[in-house]
Amino acid sequence: MGQTMVEKIVSRQVGRPVRSGELIERLPVGKLFFNDVIGPPAILTLQRLFGETFRRHGKPVRVFDPRRVFMLPDHSIPAYSVEVAEGVDLMESFGRECGFTVYREGDGIEHVVLIEDGHIVPWDIVLGTDSHTCTNGAMGALAFGVGTTDGAYAMATGHIYDFVVPETFQFELTGGFQRGVYAKDLILHIIGTVGAGGCSRRVAEFVGEGVRRMPMDARTTICNMAVEMSGRTGIMPTDETLLGYLKDRAQWPVEPVASDSDATFANRMTVDLSALEPMVAFPHKPANAVPFSRIPEMMAKSQAHSGPDLPPVTSDRITDGFVGACTNGRYDDLVEVAKVLKGNKVHKDVSLVVIPASRRVYERAMDEGILQVIIKAGANVESSNCGPCFGSHMGVLSRNAQMISSSNRNYQGRMGSRDARIFLGSPAMVAASAIEGRLADPRKYV
Amino acid sequence: MLTGTVTTIFGDDINTDDIIPAFRLQQSNDPEYFGTYAFEKFDPEFRSRCGQRNANVVVAGKNFGCGSSREQAVYALQYNRVACVIAASFPDIFYRNCLANGLTLAALPDRSGIQVGDELEVDLAAGTIRNKTRGTSVPFTMKDEDRRTFQAGGMTARVRAHLEEILAGRSGT
Repeated sequence: MGQTMVEKIVSRQVGRPVRSGELIERLPVGKLFFNDVIGPPAILTLQRLFGETFRRHGKPVRVFDPRRVFMLPDHSIPAYSVEVAEGVDLMESFGRECGFTVYREGDGIEHVVLIEDGHIVPWDIVLGTDSHTCTNGAMGALAFGVGTTDGAYAMATGHIYDFVVPETFQFELTGGFQRGVYAKDLILHIIGTVGAGGCSRRVAEFVGEGVRRMPMDARTTICNMAVEMSGRTGIMPTDETLLGYLKDRAQWPVEPVASDSDATFANRMTVDLSALEPMVAFPHKPANAVPFSRIPEMMAKSQAHSGPDLPPVTSDRITDGFVGACTNGRYDDLVEVAKVLKGNKVHKDVSLVVIPASRRVYERAMDEGILQVIIKAGANVESSNCGPCFGSHMGVLSRNAQMISSSNRNYQGRMGSRDARIFLGSPAMVAASAIEGRLADPRKYV
Repeated sequence: MLTGTVTTIFGDDINTDDIIPAFRLQQSNDPEYFGTYAFEKFDPEFRSRCGQRNANVVVAGKNFGCGSSREQAVYALQYNRVACVIAASFPDIFYRNCLANGLTLAALPDRSGIQVGDELEVDLAAGTIRNKTRGTSVPFTMKDEDRRTFQAGGMTARVRAHLEEILAGRSGT
């Protein structure tokens, strides 16, 4: 009987064969990273819970292995408050004491930068104090989000405790996308099909010809949103595209990993990429995803619905657009946005914010003239950070706003007022909608 | 044994942004701060309902605590004297964060007999929820290791023992 790639990765790490469902009391971690939201309280938690233990051994409070720990200020930078700035200071000073890498403000989003810098490789076990750590599964790593306390435990000992090896839900992707349809549309389609809890406690594994034909940026978009169907994480097998991406980049040894064909999967689903059309998720949850052609139907449904998960939508007008976030702020995304915006202007009633997800993405888009196109169309381009997705700066929404965003969450109040309506779509759909001032089909622009 | 009054019944897919909005997260490192803003956008009356009781029980549908990994959501509940959350299911990150902080979670597929105002008694050891108001009792299942962790109020003692081993050079794993 074969193993899933999750079972294989955990087996290697603990040095014996394991099966899904098995409890691992102490699971060693390969990489551990923190953002500016959880990094500062995690450092304080580490000191509070374990300071005395370190002192008793005559040692200063330190992380388990500085080569494997990273801190990345990305959510609320450039700092919008004194508290944020002092949190970043704490990360920097503790990083200097311990000798681990603390990135600079503006270097980019955690789930983009560590991949770009070659720190995430197949077989890795990766913990990040952010639910979108699942993005890193596109590298063939077992990567999942944790909270402050698990993060502080892992800083101290390099382990996560009482880890239950998850089962796998395998999605086989066949065919290729039609023009104007993207990875974002696929993952919204899947989430809309299985629901917000549809992959609960399971790892979403994406395999097949559809994945093999996909570049890395698209793969990270898919894994990024595994958590929006409550997946433990997303993961993809190693192939030539990944090996090519890691060549001359990987900072750690690279070895391929994939599930065995006779492994046991909890669920399986096949999706034909060529049958998909652009998707849009209605407020207030990503699982409210519908094909573009069914927007009028969904508006009618929302008006008849009662309950906070689908508020009434009475108009398709758009006041705000956002391209960016760990979901869709990468180079390939900006290329599509520039294609749509070239020769067009952002609608006079729309504020479009575009945020390259990392400094590398920013610089490349600048060097290649992509940012010029975007800026000349009337977009506001900001330095690399999580942007309005985090709801604290860079375009907080008013009660009257209707936003279309390339990010991953459209919860009530996520980006500002509880009365704002947030739609999710591909970067190309955001750009098309920003031009027209209403939800728009990107296929006529690309 | 936990006892408390049901002061809130939510539906499915309550996310941690609902429990504590993002823009609060970095404004304090004091867990109590987050209690002040629990559900401030999603359910502004939540705090005043909880404030009338010494121990509150929150009841919800599927997937309570989905979304962001923010552990501040757990503090927001605990500092409103929420002793226990009973829901159809919980996603992994939130579940682990509750384990770490000793906020008891009970997964109960059928919660139809529970109404706002009911006095509940949650017996972790026996795995039962007794509704004192209605005179009913239902079993719930929980893994033994989770039961021990909830009863111990978290895993810190175990992790500290592991750190001792590492610092003494006895064990790497």
